[in-house]
Amino acid sequence: MIHITINGKVVQAKDGEMLLTVIRREKIDVPTLCHHEAVEPSGACRLCMVEITKPEWDGWCDYVTSCLYPAADGLIVNTHAKKVNELRSSILDMYLARHPKSPEIRQLAAEYGVLKTQFEEVVDGDNCILCGICTRICDTMGFHAISMVGRGHGKEVAPPLNMAPTACVGCLSCAKNCPTNYIEYNMENGGLTIWKKDFEMVACTECGKTTITKEFAEYLSKNRDINIDYFRKCDECHRKELAGTMGRISNWDREARS
Amino acid sequence: MNNRFIVKPELCTGCRSCELACSFTHAIDGVRALTRITPIDGGFKDLWVPVTCLQCDDAACIKSCLVNALKRNPVTGAVELNHEVCVNCMACVAACPFGCAVLDTQANLIVKCDLCGGDPACAHFCPTKALVWEPIEKSVKKTG
Amino acid sequence: MNIKNVKDLNKIKKETLAISKKHPKKVLVCCGTGCIANGATKIVESVRDGLAKRKLKDVSIEILKETGCHGFCELGPLVIIEPQEIFYTKVKPKHVDDILDKSFLENEIIEPLLFTNPVDGSKITKYNDISFFKHQQRIALRNLGKISAHDMKEYIGVDGYQALAKVLFKMTPDEVIEEVIKSGLRGRGGGGFSAGKKWKICKNIQADKHYVICNGDEGDPGAFMDRSIMEGDPHGVLEGMMIAAYAIGAKEGYIYVRDEYPLAVTHLEKAILDCERSGLLGENILGTDFSFTIKIARGAGAFVCGESSALMKSVAGEVGEPRAKYVRSVVKGLYDEPTVLNNVETLVNIPTIIRKGADWYSSIGTKKSTGTKVFSLVGKVRNTGLIEVPMGITLREIIYDIGGGILEDRPFKAVQTGGPSGGCIPESMLDLPVDFDSLTEVGSMMGSGGMIVMDDKTCIVDVAKYFLEFLVEESCGKCTPCREGLYQLHKLLEKICAGKGEMSDIEKMERLSENVMIGSLCGLGKSGPNPLMSTLKHFKDEYIEHIKDKKCRAGVCPELITYEILDNCTGCMACIPACGYDAITGKKKEVHIIAQDKCTKCGACYAVCNFDSILVS
Repeated sequence: MIHITINGKVVQAKDGEMLLTVIRREKIDVPTLCHHEAVEPSGACRLCMVEITKPEWDGWCDYVTSCLYPAADGLIVNTHAKKVNELRSSILDMYLARHPKSPEIRQLAAEYGVLKTQFEEVVDGDNCILCGICTRICDTMGFHAISMVGRGHGKEVAPPLNMAPTACVGCLSCAKNCPTNYIEYNMENGGLTIWKKDFEMVACTECGKTTITKEFAEYLSKNRDINIDYFRKCDECHRKELAGTMGRISNWDREARS
Repeated sequence: MNNRFIVKPELCTGCRSCELACSFTHAIDGVRALTRITPIDGGFKDLWVPVTCLQCDDAACIKSCLVNALKRNPVTGAVELNHEVCVNCMACVAACPFGCAVLDTQANLIVKCDLCGGDPACAHFCPTKALVWEPIEKSVKKTG
Repeated sequence: MNIKNVKDLNKIKKETLAISKKHPKKVLVCCGTGCIANGATKIVESVRDGLAKRKLKDVSIEILKETGCHGFCELGPLVIIEPQEIFYTKVKPKHVDDILDKSFLENEIIEPLLFTNPVDGSKITKYNDISFFKHQQRIALRNLGKISAHDMKEYIGVDGYQALAKVLFKMTPDEVIEEVIKSGLRGRGGGGFSAGKKWKICKNIQADKHYVICNGDEGDPGAFMDRSIMEGDPHGVLEGMMIAAYAIGAKEGYIYVRDEYPLAVTHLEKAILDCERSGLLGENILGTDFSFTIKIARGAGAFVCGESSALMKSVAGEVGEPRAKYVRSVVKGLYDEPTVLNNVETLVNIPTIIRKGADWYSSIGTKKSTGTKVFSLVGKVRNTGLIEVPMGITLREIIYDIGGGILEDRPFKAVQTGGPSGGCIPESMLDLPVDFDSLTEVGSMMGSGGMIVMDDKTCIVDVAKYFLEFLVEESCGKCTPCREGLYQLHKLLEKICAGKGEMSDIEKMERLSENVMIGSLCGLGKSGPNPLMSTLKHFKDEYIEHIKDKKCRAGVCPELITYEILDNCTGCMACIPACGYDAITGKKKEVHIIAQDKCTKCGACYAVCNFDSILVS
């Protein structure tokens, strides 16, 4: 265990764990747009930057992304230093210029006092903030169905060749974890469409309720050694089945006793 | 692992105190959460079965999780879901053969029983002792 | 060829020198990319045919040398006749017979093919008498233009692989590192970090594997020093890598070359193959315990892949995006193992440093920036090309002595150094000694050694806009400040160039630049606002002029200039058809008129007017 100082308070931390983890554990609010615990930090949004210094640095300080900076003994961290706040407002201002219509961006920017961008707004822009959460989750789950394509201002998230990705199983993790709810999908009539790919959902053999796609169920069964029969019923019907089984046993017990 | 969670349907009256206890214990910001335990009609007269996670040894939910959000707590023996890591892919919901991982649509989180970290609230509040959290030796002795 | 030990190596050296002595007369044809583009391949064929005709076919390999780049590409194809050192420029296949008969077989000089001194129009015969070459000191470029680039024996003939033998038999890895630290050699890719210290850190990290990577991803517009070295002296690069590998204990190395450099790839591949076949690469090199292999990794030409962490991702086959380097790549680099990444120019210096010693090397240059540096001198100077000069030389010496001064004797305005992330240096600082620290001090940087000279016809705001545009395009787009911030800076510059700027924009740009510099993830973003900041620092008047007076003094920004026809117009009517928008009217032998509402300020009339009658203001 090591000790670091965050906003004047000495706290314990594990050597090498990322500053953001410690900051969040201390319930200090530091905004992030590209952070997700399921994936490796990437340092893309730059909102989690903090000011760091050490007594032996002679008053010199540095600005680092807390999601990627390992905690070290004696480090002094300021999560809301004047320069840090200015940096965050400036970055949110840039975001606001690029995605003026995104409610999530507008709200976060407003929290840092940016109600209107001072820069030229991008007209006809979309709400994809290129945080890479979707692509990193897809990679971590082992599908690699979508990735960042292109570079600079024209960068976008897309499947290979912009065609329905063969590797996608329709788990929807990309869409559900998008911080700006930008990734669209359509679920109706027992089917799902995402990234221009159509999927069939597994319908519960009892009640018809759908939970995941057939492709996802087959993938899990094949790669994670799960009996495919487990996927035939929905959670509710499974619970009823369990109650029925346990009920029968208890009833035998009851009859045997009486 | 010192304690074991035991369900005795023959004692359950279906009063649903366990649901309330669970729901309040897992509340987020004062908002009640979806219960992880629920008494279901066992199909026989006056027989209720409180259905909750069995904390399977070879748990399908753990196997189904592609981001390692589900892990077994070595102290309590419970399979715990880390909401920070969970990506809501529904794999565990679909894979559990007992339907004990559930989507809380209001909080938009997948929930499952975590034995309240080693002190299950439902057992505390069960008026008929249909749910008990007791030392393993005791239950082993009783059931032989 | 089998090189199993030092004896074999020295035998080949002796043989090569003997052959060279036997045939002192040689024809050297520059086969760098520049000269090949100008037709050097045909010259080589013609010389070969010519030698065959003159019954010299059997010894043509000893006579004809296809050398690397001399750096004087604008005058290619270049041919040098030895031993007289006659330097011929812009040679065409039709000249070859003449050259062979007169200059090669006899001692005659063909005047029209000689270099013309652009300053006074005089003809210069000898290579080393030309001011462009005279003031240079070549260490990194030592073999360029002197030996056949793809011939391993020739490299061995000029003391090649002697440094490798020296480190393997006479020095411990620590001694090698100490020697390189003592030499003061700093990273030539732009970082300027001590090469030896980098090796030391890497060596001292316990790991299963260590890697050496040679960074040949030269991306600065107009820079071609690394390309020339890889093409012209591939074995020099390999030897430098081998010494680095021995020093840090690496068994595998990579050379990262951009795919736009096909000739560099071909020559490096040949050099690696020759080394593998002869035993200089592979297991138990020169009979010692040292084993090393080199692979070529080809990049797709993204500018950001020159950044160490992006480069290593690209080598590993991933998307070339940088990562935060709070843990340095010498500690955790390629495949998460400790990795030394050195630039081509850094590595090619190593063998000479080892052979001649650290003291010799550190005696060249300045105290904190030792040795020489290769620059690519381009822009509005008379002589453009690759030059290698000792550190500490002044900008004035480079531009006026080597470069021959500004074209048409126009006034000098600024010199841009350090590539797109560098800055502009004004005339008042022409006597600045060029080294790593002095350039950084004045808001520019050494970078990989680009040097663009500008005259009064260059608009400084337009220059800043050009570099920002390049960086916006080459930003990988991963982090927000670089992707969005540079984009907004470029938008603001566009606005100013279009005459729509406001005084508050300057402050806005300064603040945004600062935040982009602090906030960006990698060096590209951190130094991205440099071209803007340095021009704002030294040429603020010009920005204000653009904003307040809506004037572009250089006559570059179309929205801020007008084209007028002066009274000295002869009425030749040349400009009338040249104008694509029918803006010019007039009769023969009468002064023409430009209709301002139709003029698009394209400059076509200005370009065709032979009488300087078009005024741009």
